[in-house]
Amino acid sequence: MKKLGSESVISPIWNWKITAASFSLLIFVVFLAISFGPVHLEFQKIIRTLFGLPGGLTGQERTLLIDLRLPRALLAVIVGAALATSGAVYQTVFRNPLADPYLLGAAAGAGLGATIAITSAGADLYSLLPIFSFFGAILAVLVSFFISGKFFAEPNSLLLSGIAVGSFATAVQTYLQQRNSSSLRPVYSWILGELTVANWQKVTWSSIYIFIALTILITVSKQLDGLMLTDEEAYSLGINPNRLRVIAVIAATLATATAVSASGLIGFVGIVVPHLVRGITHRVTNRGLLTIALVGASFLVLADLGARTLLSPAELPIGVITAFVGAPFFLVVLRKKRLVAK
Amino acid sequence: MIKVEDLNVRFGQKEILKDINVEIEHSKWTCLVGPNGAGKTTFLKALLGSQSYSGSITDSGAEVYGNHDRNVAFVPQQPQIPIGMSVSEYVMLGRSKRDGWGNESKKSRTLVADILKLTGLFGMLNQFVSQLSGGEMQRALIARALAQEPTLILLDEPTSALDLHHQIAVLNNIELLKERGVTIVSTMHDITLAAMYAEKIVVMREGKVLLSGTSDFVIHSPELQVAFENRISVFTLDSGRPVIVAKKDLSN
Repeated sequence: MKKLGSESVISPIWNWKITAASFSLLIFVVFLAISFGPVHLEFQKIIRTLFGLPGGLTGQERTLLIDLRLPRALLAVIVGAALATSGAVYQTVFRNPLADPYLLGAAAGAGLGATIAITSAGADLYSLLPIFSFFGAILAVLVSFFISGKFFAEPNSLLLSGIAVGSFATAVQTYLQQRNSSSLRPVYSWILGELTVANWQKVTWSSIYIFIALTILITVSKQLDGLMLTDEEAYSLGINPNRLRVIAVIAATLATATAVSASGLIGFVGIVVPHLVRGITHRVTNRGLLTIALVGASFLVLADLGARTLLSPAELPIGVITAFVGAPFFLVVLRKKRLVAK
Repeated sequence: MIKVEDLNVRFGQKEILKDINVEIEHSKWTCLVGPNGAGKTTFLKALLGSQSYSGSITDSGAEVYGNHDRNVAFVPQQPQIPIGMSVSEYVMLGRSKRDGWGNESKKSRTLVADILKLTGLFGMLNQFVSQLSGGEMQRALIARALAQEPTLILLDEPTSALDLHHQIAVLNNIELLKERGVTIVSTMHDITLAAMYAEKIVVMREGKVLLSGTSDFVIHSPELQVAFENRISVFTLDSGRPVIVAKKDLSN
């Protein structure tokens, strides 16, 4: 709050400098990630290479940057942004601070959809995997809602039904894997949640779907605040709540499904990042959604850097790093939620 | 004028509102009273335009269903309280329709500061709405409605679950809207308070309107006893103010 002469003015609800700062953070983190590793690449040379200036990297170092580290970092950016954004959107739409692509069964449903695609077709289905994953994920989310009793159910029953649906989808997925032993290896390598297999082809197709989903979500993000109120209040503020919910859930599920089909199952990003951003800024408005996407991207790039370097030359699965940070964080949020409820 | 003609609302086989015909004057306070299950809340939702119905509700000649051109504020009986949202952020939501979502103008930020002072919430503008007491939350809801600068405000039991002191504080805040030319339609359990504040009272029972008219006319009308199954007594104080209380003996 500021005083202007004798009148008072409320501070703006969102300070866009925060968004600009998160963008700078992401650029810095990406440079860090493509520079560090068993072979260190100099910042200056990286910049020269990327901008096609003389004095850049050559030979194997250039290949390492262009064909390995850069696509891997960009895939982490895309997947991190998608998971964090969809987590934040699910939390708003379902009015539940613990809603997350994994707890709602969306990720397991996406996994089942992708497994069906890999086991039944067997061919290289990179570009179609998100579509199969999307239908698996949207089906899982819908079943979670209907099992929980009503569409916008009491928060805990929604999460419990999400966990049940997720377990069921995982069981069917495992059955399909065992039954189709010929495709066991590609399914497993995908499930393990890897960014190691990142390549430009994967970066290209996943960025298309995620760009579409995030563009939709960021376009409607300002109105999403209305969904934190009752439907009548939202309507009175000029929103069609049911239409907005459907758009938001479809776009968030497309983002989740693409992230899952690109990198397998990486948990907790959708819960850690939105709460981190809201906690630091003291704002819950969805005007911060772009910032959440940028911080989600930075978070996963850093997690991947940790996965690559902590036990170097061996690699940790990235899901281990996100769970190591995310699980205690989840418990803190759960405890805070209980305290608020009291 | 808001004209309600042959209004019917059904949920499946169940008839919630039946053949309602009422006229609501602009810039006046109209209060809907009646026992639980009378259909008061559904009537408010129909007036808002979010509830589908058969028949007709027109506001200044325009049908209200799905009409987003009107600026109507809605204060629910049980609001959804956004966790982690500050009071200023919450009240600022009221400006969303006027400024466009996500674009609060400086004029709006000054207006919201004034409204927070007016409703006694300025000292807690950075507090979370989830931490407000019942009375403070109700004032935050009214503050958001004031920020909306509506032409019509619909309030569902704005004073339920408040002690008498806070009931009066909230009702006085609502009266501020009337001074600004806003049409007020509220439901209220307490008929004494309804008679004190509203110019017009509409008595409902089982989805029907039993009678409507000026507060004085309705309070002394025998149909009021019918609506409440003869279980209320009406007294008049020396000041001329009516007081309506429940009869102790419910066997009548």
